[in-house]
Amino acid sequence: MAIQKDRVKFNVGGKIFETTATTLAIAGRDSYFASMFDENWDLQLNPSGDYFIDRNPDCFSILLDLLRTGELYIPPHVPEKLLYREALFYGLMGHVRTAKWGSFDGNRLQPLTSITGRAPGDGTAIRASPEGGCCVAHGSMVHIYDWMLSEQHPINLDYQRVNDACWVGPVDPTGLVISTCERLGRGQGGMGLFNTTTGELRHKFSVTHEGVVKSYTAGALSFNDSYNLFSSCKGRSNEYGIGVWDQNTGQQVDFFYEPPGWSLGDADKLQWLNGSNCLLVATLFPRKDNCYISLLDFRSKSMVWSWSDMWSPANGDDRRVRDAIAMEENGSICVVNEFEDLGFMDLRRESSSVRWSSRSRLMKGKMPDEPCYPKLALHEGQLFSSMNDCISVFCGSDWVLTSRLRRSFGGSICDFSIGGDRLFALHSEENVFDIWETPPPSIV
Amino acid sequence: MPQNLDPATPSLANAAICSIAASLIPEPKNIAFIEADVKVITANESETFEKFRNINLGINRTEIDIKFELEMSSQKKKNFQIEAFKHRVVVDPKYAEKTWKILEHAIHEIYNHNASGLSFEELYRNAYNMVLHKFGEKLYTGLVSTMTSHLKEIALSIEASQGALFLEELERKWTEHNKALQMIRDILMYMDRTFIPSTHKTPVHELGLNLWRDNIVHTIKIQTRLRDRLLELVQRERSGEVIDRGLMRNVIKMLMDLGSSVYQEDFEKPFLRLSADFYRGESQLFIESCDCGDYLKKAEKRLNEEIERVSHYLDAKSEVKITNVVEKEMIESQMTRLVHMENSGLVNMLMNDKYDDLGRMYNLFRRVPNGLSLIRDVMTSHIRETGKQLVTDPERLKDPVDFVQRLLDEKDKNDKIIHLAFNNDKMFQNALNSSFEHFINLNVRSPEFISLFVDDKLRKGLKGVSEEDVETVLDKVMMLFRYLQEKDVFEKYYKQHLAKRLLSNKSVSEDAERSLILKLKTECGYQFTSKLEGMFTDIKTSDDTMQGFYAAMGQELGDSPSLAVHILTTGSWPTQLTTTCNLPPEILTVCDKFKTYYLGTHNGRRLTWQTNMGSADIKATFNKGQKHELNVSTYQMCVLMLFNNGDGLSYTEIEQATEIPTLELKRCLQSLACVKGKNVLRKEPMGKDIGEDDTFFFNDKFASKFYKVKIGTVVAQKESEPEKQETRQRVEEDRKPQIEAAIVRIMKARRVLDHNNIVAEVTKQLQSRFLPNPVVIKKRIESLIEREFLERDKDDRKLYRYLA
Repeated sequence: MAIQKDRVKFNVGGKIFETTATTLAIAGRDSYFASMFDENWDLQLNPSGDYFIDRNPDCFSILLDLLRTGELYIPPHVPEKLLYREALFYGLMGHVRTAKWGSFDGNRLQPLTSITGRAPGDGTAIRASPEGGCCVAHGSMVHIYDWMLSEQHPINLDYQRVNDACWVGPVDPTGLVISTCERLGRGQGGMGLFNTTTGELRHKFSVTHEGVVKSYTAGALSFNDSYNLFSSCKGRSNEYGIGVWDQNTGQQVDFFYEPPGWSLGDADKLQWLNGSNCLLVATLFPRKDNCYISLLDFRSKSMVWSWSDMWSPANGDDRRVRDAIAMEENGSICVVNEFEDLGFMDLRRESSSVRWSSRSRLMKGKMPDEPCYPKLALHEGQLFSSMNDCISVFCGSDWVLTSRLRRSFGGSICDFSIGGDRLFALHSEENVFDIWETPPPSIV
Repeated sequence: MPQNLDPATPSLANAAICSIAASLIPEPKNIAFIEADVKVITANESETFEKFRNINLGINRTEIDIKFELEMSSQKKKNFQIEAFKHRVVVDPKYAEKTWKILEHAIHEIYNHNASGLSFEELYRNAYNMVLHKFGEKLYTGLVSTMTSHLKEIALSIEASQGALFLEELERKWTEHNKALQMIRDILMYMDRTFIPSTHKTPVHELGLNLWRDNIVHTIKIQTRLRDRLLELVQRERSGEVIDRGLMRNVIKMLMDLGSSVYQEDFEKPFLRLSADFYRGESQLFIESCDCGDYLKKAEKRLNEEIERVSHYLDAKSEVKITNVVEKEMIESQMTRLVHMENSGLVNMLMNDKYDDLGRMYNLFRRVPNGLSLIRDVMTSHIRETGKQLVTDPERLKDPVDFVQRLLDEKDKNDKIIHLAFNNDKMFQNALNSSFEHFINLNVRSPEFISLFVDDKLRKGLKGVSEEDVETVLDKVMMLFRYLQEKDVFEKYYKQHLAKRLLSNKSVSEDAERSLILKLKTECGYQFTSKLEGMFTDIKTSDDTMQGFYAAMGQELGDSPSLAVHILTTGSWPTQLTTTCNLPPEILTVCDKFKTYYLGTHNGRRLTWQTNMGSADIKATFNKGQKHELNVSTYQMCVLMLFNNGDGLSYTEIEQATEIPTLELKRCLQSLACVKGKNVLRKEPMGKDIGEDDTFFFNDKFASKFYKVKIGTVVAQKESEPEKQETRQRVEEDRKPQIEAAIVRIMKARRVLDHNNIVAEVTKQLQSRFLPNPVVIKKRIESLIEREFLERDKDDRKLYRYLA
């Protein structure tokens, strides 16, 4: 063999590549190359002194370059899907994924693409998966997209309206919980945990009141770190409240009944607060005539903090809370009204009132034909708020507007979600969603 | 080439390989190319090769078969290629079966150590294709059944191995299985990555371990044999044989790799059970045959052996468990017996200062619950017992210095044990302190003795001793002092002794004196030592006064006897009831002059002569013209001066002339007339004791080789019984105001309090000085009620009220 020890020659689909064992070692033990060069295998060289691999040479060249430089450059003539398929073959998917986009930063986001669905507009919700994919709830269907944005088998809920969806998280990347409306007379509805790869139903979460299993409508969803699943529930005999289930066993572990004169079962939003071990429950206008925001402590079965606008004097329609999010690090709850004014409430004080921040945005009278209510999201100290067709990013202790994300297609944004280092924004007029991601840090 | 070929189908790619591979074969009959031939066949997935495949796979592969195929392929090379593409290419219905057969064959070859002929690229691609074409389930179940059947074979060969070879065979097969598993995972990597997570199946490597566990380790024929064999080896090693530790380590490692539950169930639990039985038996054997020290050595050795065993071939987590077993069986179950063992138990070790054995016992017993407290309890009772003997032994009471020295020695001995053997454990230090406190106070004279010890040291004991050593001695004394409950009694004695030292100028070092006072001050506070310090001041001012006196009156005095006066502040000094005597006229003159001088310089003072505390140097001329200087007490001086005016004085005459108290006079005459070598007086009749009818003469024949003769007073260093009573009484007297002050302080703050609480509070306040007797406290309360400081509550007689 005239080849020097470190040098390796491949014949990939008829094209000769030459590289070094050192470069290939970067691929890691769980790759094709590591196994191939393992001493267990008595490798056979072709007479021409190379190793043959029956794969696409163009993709091989891109992946070899990725191993050499750590950067991913996909030439225009190579479809991304093809590259992904090849990366999966060689066990280099992790490398591609890391090289493709960087860790999330709301101020450096760039639009990746927009994906159009089959159904008409008016989607219910979009939820980013921890892996960088997403699901879009639409009527009684949930469409699943993996991180390569190829659509998987949709989950069909047998014509029950989907209310919310929630990814289980890193422990079970394929798990998705879907909450649906009850269907009268059939005992169906409620919630189920699905495997998004196979579409199989793993658990159906049922609600028991006084020893009897009752059908119910499940609304907003949330998880905590100890694998508990929370959902707002509406039963038929006024059994309203927040149900708690064990994610692993599917068993109901608790139920927080709605106190009279308050609203929990209709909640629009649930958010688990790790630091205080509490659940934020927010029921907002226009689902109810008034807004109710409360923190529930399940250990003491008590409402440890609450706020409602029925206590404050009505000052016209301009200050109705449309979304709320708790920011534990700041000890406050951020709310937003339909003109995208941000307001803050102190979590540490009982009977706090909203302190609206005076942002002079000339929104009034400039509403689009089909307005969407603003939504809020929080990600590592950055606050996001969607309004009409754009998403604003706020940073710093006094929440300065630092970036605006806008694509001029599809009408207003009805929902958005951040996860897997990506931001997904769903438009309401047309069934289209945008994907934003942060470019990888520059090597040089 | 036909144009209807879809380049994405595998047929074209395989056909291409086929042609390449085929063209590599120059000579069909050459056996060396069998491998190349296999490649042709395995690579082929087109329908054309269907026939060969069936033949090939239907019949067991033989050389003849291969040759046949070789011929066919080489002959029909051109033909069948063209033929193949004449048909429409459809997905081969038997495609999955065929591909699986290739992979199955590869797995067989891997297990048969025949992998050198396998092509990684091809196998990986085949596995990939199976998953890609949705045959993942088939691939997975195939893998499970193939691996299972191989493992069953392996199980048979392990079962067949004889005796000692059993573990070796198991280890060898395990290594092989691991290697095979690695290779299988290499080719099935794509399935591991995609199919297995999405279907929630067990990954290949874990699957391989599980199958090994179920088909090898947990089969009836192997499971118990493996366990017994491992335990047998451990037992053999315990009995001193050398075993193959590497083999043990590998087999145990295998159990750990199979999961911690396998290790625990199949080895650790039975191992611990066996060990418990073994050590239970062994401890029984040892305790019957060994003494305590040997037993402990053996237990320690066993413990270390087990720890070493864990580090060599067991899971590190087992260390705590196995040491617990040894501790429980060898130490905990026998510890009471060990400690109390006759002639070699703890008491024996303590008595003989066996630091090594004690240290071993400490280190071993520390590991078990209540082990140290057992040692502590036995040690405490031993120290209390020996201490009690020491302080109550009437022999010892004769010599206070020796008494205290023995206490110090006892303390040093135990300190050394705690330091050397017990790791300076606080628990033992506390036990030692409480024991000393207990027995020192058993003897009411301990305070006196300690003070006497100090007195002895400060008089002579510390002469020529370096400053540091002085400090050490003083520190030790302070330590004993701390154990005393009646610190005020010590103070009383100390004051007396200090006074004597100062007045007779016998203190070795003022630094040492002051240092001790400083220590007492830090221990007990300013109040305790202020009077002692006052005594030093008095001595100093006295010196100045005397200088002043002689400067002013020097000429007037002429050649009258020289006088040295110590002016003592009343209250600072332990004054006894003033017992005056008639001083000789020459002395009286000087004394009066001094008195006049002093009262002239200081207004409003009163001087009283403490003749019982003075001393005098007198010159005496004896018969042969021999001159001696006699150092005597004031009383003795008074007596001797009488003989200047006449000889042969009767006791009564002397008593009348001097008016010295009877007891003192007798004592003083005794020392002048009855001590051999110092008998400057002669007594008639002769005898040791002084009688009222005795007559005394000047002893002309007195002789001494020294010019200076010190005539001591016959006085025991220790107090005589009545003196003791007296001191005791004075102490009790002094305590009264202190107790009353404490009661008033407490009542002033609380206004109303019941009896028991007052007693408790008073005891608490005063215990740094002495332990007040509740009966005495009660008396003091009654006295205070009489004097209307307090009153009883009208409803509850047990309640007292403070009257402002």
